[in-house]
Amino acid sequence: MRKRKATVLLAGLSAAALALAGCANGDGGGDNGDNGDNGGGDGGYHIILVSKGFQHQFWQAVQAGAQEEADAQGVTMDFDGPASETQVDNQLQMLQTAIDSGPDAIGYAALDPEACLPLFDQAEAMDIPIVQFDAACNSEYGNYLAATDGVAAGALAAENMAEELGGEGTIGVVAHSQINSTSIERRDGFIDYMEENHPDIEIVDVQYGDGDHIESADIARAMINANPDLDGLYGTNEGSAIGIVNAISELGIDPGEIAVVGFDSGSAQIEAIQDGSMLGAVTQDPMEIGRLTIRNAIALIEGEELPEFTDTGSFWYDADNIDDEDIRQMIYE
Amino acid sequence: MSEAKTETAPGTPGSGWNWKSWIQQGLAVGTLVMLFAFFSFMNPAFYGWSNISGILLATAGIGIMALGTTFVIATGGIDLSIGTGSTFAAVVVGVFGVNVGLPMWLALIIGVGAGALMGFINGFNVAFLRIPPFIATLAMMMVAQGLALILSDVAPIYFRDTPWFSQIALGNLIPGLPNGVLIMFVLVAISAFVLARTKFGRITLAIGSNVEATRLSGIPTKRWLVMIYTFAGMFTAVAGIVMASRLVSAQPQMGVGLELQAIAAVIIGGTSLMGGRASIVGTLIGALIMSTLINGLRIMGVQSEWQFVASGIVIALAVWVDSLRNRSKST
Amino acid sequence: MFTRVFLDEEVVVTNPLLELTGISKSFPGVKALQNVEFTLGGGEVLVLVGENGAGKSTLMKILSGIYQRDEGTIRVDGREVEIPTPAVAQSLGISIIHQEMNLMPDLTVAQNIFIGREPRVLGVIQEGKLNRQTSELLTRLGINVNPKQRVGDMTVAGQQMVEIAKALSYDARVLIMDEPTSALTDTEVETLFELIENLREKGTGVVYISHRMEELKRLADRVVVLRDGQYIGQLDREEIDVPTIIEMMVGRQIKSDVRPPERDFSDAETILRVKGLSTKSLLKDVEFELKKGEILGFAGLMGAGRTETARALIGADSKSAGSVEIHGKPVKIKQPSDAVKHGIGYLSEDRKGIGLLLEQSVAANTVLASLDKFNRFGIMQDGKSKRVAGDYVNDLKTKTPSTQQMVKLLSGGNQQKVVLAKWLVRDTDILIVDEPTRGIDVGAKEEIYSLLEGLAAEGKSIIVISSELPELLRIADRIVVMASGEIRGELLNADATQNRIMDYATQIAEEGELTL
Repeated sequence: MRKRKATVLLAGLSAAALALAGCANGDGGGDNGDNGDNGGGDGGYHIILVSKGFQHQFWQAVQAGAQEEADAQGVTMDFDGPASETQVDNQLQMLQTAIDSGPDAIGYAALDPEACLPLFDQAEAMDIPIVQFDAACNSEYGNYLAATDGVAAGALAAENMAEELGGEGTIGVVAHSQINSTSIERRDGFIDYMEENHPDIEIVDVQYGDGDHIESADIARAMINANPDLDGLYGTNEGSAIGIVNAISELGIDPGEIAVVGFDSGSAQIEAIQDGSMLGAVTQDPMEIGRLTIRNAIALIEGEELPEFTDTGSFWYDADNIDDEDIRQMIYE
Repeated sequence: MSEAKTETAPGTPGSGWNWKSWIQQGLAVGTLVMLFAFFSFMNPAFYGWSNISGILLATAGIGIMALGTTFVIATGGIDLSIGTGSTFAAVVVGVFGVNVGLPMWLALIIGVGAGALMGFINGFNVAFLRIPPFIATLAMMMVAQGLALILSDVAPIYFRDTPWFSQIALGNLIPGLPNGVLIMFVLVAISAFVLARTKFGRITLAIGSNVEATRLSGIPTKRWLVMIYTFAGMFTAVAGIVMASRLVSAQPQMGVGLELQAIAAVIIGGTSLMGGRASIVGTLIGALIMSTLINGLRIMGVQSEWQFVASGIVIALAVWVDSLRNRSKST
Repeated sequence: MFTRVFLDEEVVVTNPLLELTGISKSFPGVKALQNVEFTLGGGEVLVLVGENGAGKSTLMKILSGIYQRDEGTIRVDGREVEIPTPAVAQSLGISIIHQEMNLMPDLTVAQNIFIGREPRVLGVIQEGKLNRQTSELLTRLGINVNPKQRVGDMTVAGQQMVEIAKALSYDARVLIMDEPTSALTDTEVETLFELIENLREKGTGVVYISHRMEELKRLADRVVVLRDGQYIGQLDREEIDVPTIIEMMVGRQIKSDVRPPERDFSDAETILRVKGLSTKSLLKDVEFELKKGEILGFAGLMGAGRTETARALIGADSKSAGSVEIHGKPVKIKQPSDAVKHGIGYLSEDRKGIGLLLEQSVAANTVLASLDKFNRFGIMQDGKSKRVAGDYVNDLKTKTPSTQQMVKLLSGGNQQKVVLAKWLVRDTDILIVDEPTRGIDVGAKEEIYSLLEGLAAEGKSIIVISSELPELLRIADRIVVMASGEIRGELLNADATQNRIMDYATQIAEEGELTL
């Protein structure tokens, strides 16, 4: 009996594992036919990108940009990331696997700037070049980051919010994480800009909703209820921003009465900007992050000098410029 | 020996209110009232209807999940698949209603069917394959998450073309009260009735009290277990639909982690993890305590970190009080 | 009665080991104990008897520090003591062996006995030393058990021995045993008694709680009788007389050595016919018939396959071969619900473990096997349940404050009546009653016998499985004797004696004997 239990259990778990593995593969690939092989093309490098996630459209755009550049340069690219941006541990395992498989270069986006240190040492010992994207590991090694300058992006959001409020009012911040550096930079960039330039604007509350839509909506509702005269709400990523928009519509507050500034894009956010329930958002250029990461990786493999940080840019968009060609390229449905 | 204390068995025919369940329910209600009084005192914005309906709406998803789970826990089992299961059911609705283009009402039925199927498989694995509930539903939790990601192609599915879909959670059949909350209350009434007054509920508690005694009494306990898990799976699906309606989209990751909150609500409400004793109203109150606490702390502007600490302490206290009650009973 | 210390030819009478005077204890609404007193000397065996509810367990719990007395004094070695916790009881040298086993089945004998007190070096348990010291302890007590054996693999009797060894390992001078023989077969009881003799010689005082009258004469230096929490009186060894004791216990005369009237079933309808019943683990080709209105006894040593026969018959365990006919028609029984459908009810030997929903009410338990009779469109008819449960409470004279009482709080005899009621409500033609009076006191036993006889007279067919031969002789029309998973013999009541049954039960060499 005991044996049978164990077998069944094993079967159940392996089925579950297969289901998960299947889904990971389904998304990792895109259209790179010869997965993992170093063959083909004269560049022929194998580059592995370990991202912060793969489900979010932002990461899919990064992947698309990277794939585009990889195809153009004739290198093989694998893209992997944990199921959620809180799974630091999972991501480290993926990085470990990437190192163990001995690629020509690794592109990495750190979920946690410290946890990655031992693995970076290991990569250094094995002489595997590392470039980084979106967020950096606090390591001396592989210190080449292609990312949006989060502080600048936060300030950009603040600038537009302040302009809308005419330099005075109260604002709540729904951030997506207390740990994640992107969230911290966007939060601090925003708050610091306000403190320096607009002393009459008060940040009444900062809460964290993990970028979860429902959680963020509940947070925004509580903020609005606690501060009935709130003038603005700032969400530090797509999920936070959508949560804010949903909260306002659930409470039956007229669109535009509270100025909402968001981050990134996604169809819900685009729609909200178009129908006026959102003032606007700051977008990064995720495809460019992907492209630059591949370019950096190839340059590093070939021994070229790289700057420690390259800003891939952040851009304000609102109802006025949302249909511009160059903005359209950076935002995704 | 018969130191015949007159004590009425809980959850049994017409047991009504006896002093011990009074204490248990009273403690839960008391906690809730105290939380309300405290937060209202700290910030008058707390007791505004707008905020209260916000609390209720935030309770709806977890609350509905917790109702079904109350039955599973009452059998002495556990269901960890409710969080990702709700996501899976919502994604199924999205796939059939949006991607495939079936009429939305049909997609909703298919979604509830998908939840029932998940529950059925859970029940089958637990009852017939004898996989411990913790493991069987843990496996299902993973499978459901995976399937939700696969079916949705890792992207949200938006219900734009069916404007009434958002009314499932956000409409106001009763002015001021979101429909999602109404659905929760209706399901509370139904499941309270089912648990207390039907053969289904009676057998649920009997299995939880002593599955072998129940089986030897000629009740096909395996079949009933499958039915109970299936029943819970349907609640999971409804919870998923209500949450998706609130988002006007099926998010492939929205339910992750909610299973533990729902289970905590059930336990706070006085349902025994060992089975045999359950309270639906308790579960509702447990879910309300959890969301009231979080909401109140947010209204006060307390940092998220401390919100976790406070929730943890409340859960521990609630279960401790419950164990005190059990200890006094066993002497 | 008193510890005697011999010093230079001079006899010094010292204080008794344990002395209770005027002990009273009330629970809300109940006087559980009133003015109870007794003394226990070293090397003395005091047997405490009384019906359920007489207050024996309460008294024990007071002595072991679980309950606190309201009034009275407890003296150990003449010193007045308080026993606020079980740990204090232990340090006073009072150890208790509860009816329910408190052993951890997955640990070995040695690990169980010295749990928490293992010999350690720097926190590391010295397994070898542990086993050696256990071995010494067991040898000293004359218990023949391997210290390394896993307790879960042992027989009930073996486990009981381990419990006793564990209690005595605390240097207990007073050992309290609560119905230690209720789960033991006769051979095992014998081993236990030898152990008690052994303890007596070593000067340990033993308080022995029992329902079995035959044990009194063997063991008791003195018998103390309780009834309804009252101290009724005590008898010294030479005064012990079973009818007198029973009279003191129940306050009325009880017949012994009664046999059922001889009845002829040769023309009666065969209700149940079992052929070739076998299981993978034990049963071999078990065959028997049950007539309408007959009470068929199943005798045998523990492990002979009686309970296993019942469980395989009702589909609770799987069978490897065999067929069952009910009312002459072959039926397929794969699970207990099939058995119930075909009119077989099984009352388990393990009432608390698998017979009842302990935390649920009398009413809920009464209707459990017949839920279909008590619901309309799935909705329970609680009024009807209560009414029917109430009727059976009256008919069976179940002592309970109401049909809503939690079954857990009833005495063993009354719990048995609730189980019986459950099957009477279901109205099955066949009842299999496994150890119907285990843990039930003498007065209530007789009541259960009368109930069973009444049912048989109404035309129900009953199988009684029992380890107590007098019980089978008292009620069974016919007795089947099993050993090693086979039927060894069959006797009509008129031809049956305890000796003849034991001959069959131990037929195959010593294989039927139980090793500990």
